[in-house]
Amino acid sequence: MFNFLPYLLKTLWRHRTRTLLTVAGSAVAVFVYCFVVSVQHGLEQLTRQDDRVLVVFQANKFCPSTSHLPQDYALAISRIEGVTNVVPIQVFTNNCRASLDVVVFYGTEADKVQSARDFELVTGSWDVFQSQQDAAIIGQTLATRRNKEVGDKFSVGDVTVTVAGIFTSDKRAEEDYVYCHLDFLQRTRGLNIVGTVTQHEVFISESADPQQIADAIDARYQGGPVATDTRTKGVFQASSLTDLVQLVELSRYLGYACLALMAVLLSTTTLMSVEDRHQEHAVLQAIGVSMHRVFRLILCETVLLSVMGGVIGITVATLVLYTSGISVGAEAVSIAFVPSADMIITGSIASLVIGLLSGLIPAQHAARADIVSALRQG
Amino acid sequence: MSLIEIRGVTKQFHKGAEVITPLDSADLDIERGEFVSLMGASGTGKSTLLNLIAGIDRATAGSIVVAGIDITRLSRTKLAPWRAANIGYVFQTHNLIPVLTAYENIELPLLLLPMRRSERRRRVEIALQAVDLVDRANHYPRQLSGGQEQRVGIARAIVADPTIVVADEPTGDLDPQTSQQILDLIRRLNAELGTTLLMVTHDQDAAAIAGRQLRLEEGKLVEVCRTMPSAVKSEAV
Repeated sequence: MFNFLPYLLKTLWRHRTRTLLTVAGSAVAVFVYCFVVSVQHGLEQLTRQDDRVLVVFQANKFCPSTSHLPQDYALAISRIEGVTNVVPIQVFTNNCRASLDVVVFYGTEADKVQSARDFELVTGSWDVFQSQQDAAIIGQTLATRRNKEVGDKFSVGDVTVTVAGIFTSDKRAEEDYVYCHLDFLQRTRGLNIVGTVTQHEVFISESADPQQIADAIDARYQGGPVATDTRTKGVFQASSLTDLVQLVELSRYLGYACLALMAVLLSTTTLMSVEDRHQEHAVLQAIGVSMHRVFRLILCETVLLSVMGGVIGITVATLVLYTSGISVGAEAVSIAFVPSADMIITGSIASLVIGLLSGLIPAQHAARADIVSALRQG
Repeated sequence: MSLIEIRGVTKQFHKGAEVITPLDSADLDIERGEFVSLMGASGTGKSTLLNLIAGIDRATAGSIVVAGIDITRLSRTKLAPWRAANIGYVFQTHNLIPVLTAYENIELPLLLLPMRRSERRRRVEIALQAVDLVDRANHYPRQLSGGQEQRVGIARAIVADPTIVVADEPTGDLDPQTSQQILDLIRRLNAELGTTLLMVTHDQDAAAIAGRQLRLEEGKLVEVCRTMPSAVKSEAV
């Protein structure tokens, strides 16, 4: 088969406009598919994480701006068996609705950020963050998106903080958040909500049963003063993003539709190309090329086009996702568009399989053509 | 035993309700090294007989034995490698692969045979020399004249040293001067290389260069003229 590789490549090169357009179409389809996979991956990363972390929210409240829990719940919760740490958090966001540019402020006790998160400062200093009241550390993705550096002021609405550090995290969605001092966030915006927080993050031991502890917390505050709703962090984030989750699930079908379109495009262009070369294939068969070899040649042609499109689509998608730091968020929770090995592998496999499938009909068409009739057409 | 033995070969086409029979129980023997030309009016089935011998068409009845193999019994899958090893096909319209150079077009049949690259190169160079196109080896078909294209087509047909070369009106698309050059080349291949040749033509002068001239009339083969095969004649000398 490799003997015929020059023929194959030269054929593609000779019809380079068609080749270019087909590869471009395939690349766009795979690019969109990769985007969809990256959102799925971001969502999975968000909802699967932290089953050792519970989020205590005010019962029957869904938006962070409407949840107000007493801050001193932290002390009582920390005494429940199996609880290792409790972090009260005040949340402020510029937009509770779904948006591609959500900025979320997490106000926490400064000394607890380091222990509660896996952040690594790439620039700035933890000491400055802890010692300066209006200091904040921001995620690298957000810093890049908003063009912020250490020492810059960062304002959203009435909240203005000074960037004391820029962090990276294994959880890409965290890099869309701003972490500042709890009491700073409680006092700013002309509010004085000292003593109340939006939520408590409860860290539990490896042996503890998350559901049991969640039930214990909710049972404790069932009668007030403020009833709670406690879930694992993954479940909490998924439920915060209910609408978006459904959209993301729906986008899966958009990804499949793109791949189907790619298959149709490849099949159509290859079939047209085969029709144009009907006589050429008849000549090949007349000189002894078997119908099986003609079949394989056409199949190789579609696979080459498909894989070239796939490689370009995957490469561009990976670059765009890495450099743009796109995310979508709602209710102060953000889904990061994360490029992943999964995306590269499934994108590559999809390109290969689509190339094979879309080549079947044109290949059969070329291989089964009657040699004598095809020669007479010339 | 003849190289090619055709016995009772019938070919029928269905054109609507009408049944056309271009070949009706035709018999023919072709000896090794023989040069046979086949004439006849348009539509009499000359090319059909050629295609049957070349194994790219199927007979309705009868047997075609080439070098001891009854090709009417071979499946389409088995006919392809048989063609690669036994048939050299010269088309009327040259039918070169446009994306390949003259060298690559000539090399094409060799890619189907178990052969080393160096051996392929040697054979292509010999074929190029035989058709006097060494200096056009890297030219694409669009860069060649009609006569040159046909010479590449002939080189492609002989390069694998096939059992028989079939030529379907090889001068049909050429001007008289170029036609004469091509006919000279074909005659030389038969005389010098001993290539067995079957050439379909409607041109009396072209047919006259063959050792044996046949005419297809009402589905039957009629011998018009016979001389000693050129290759056989050379051996005798």
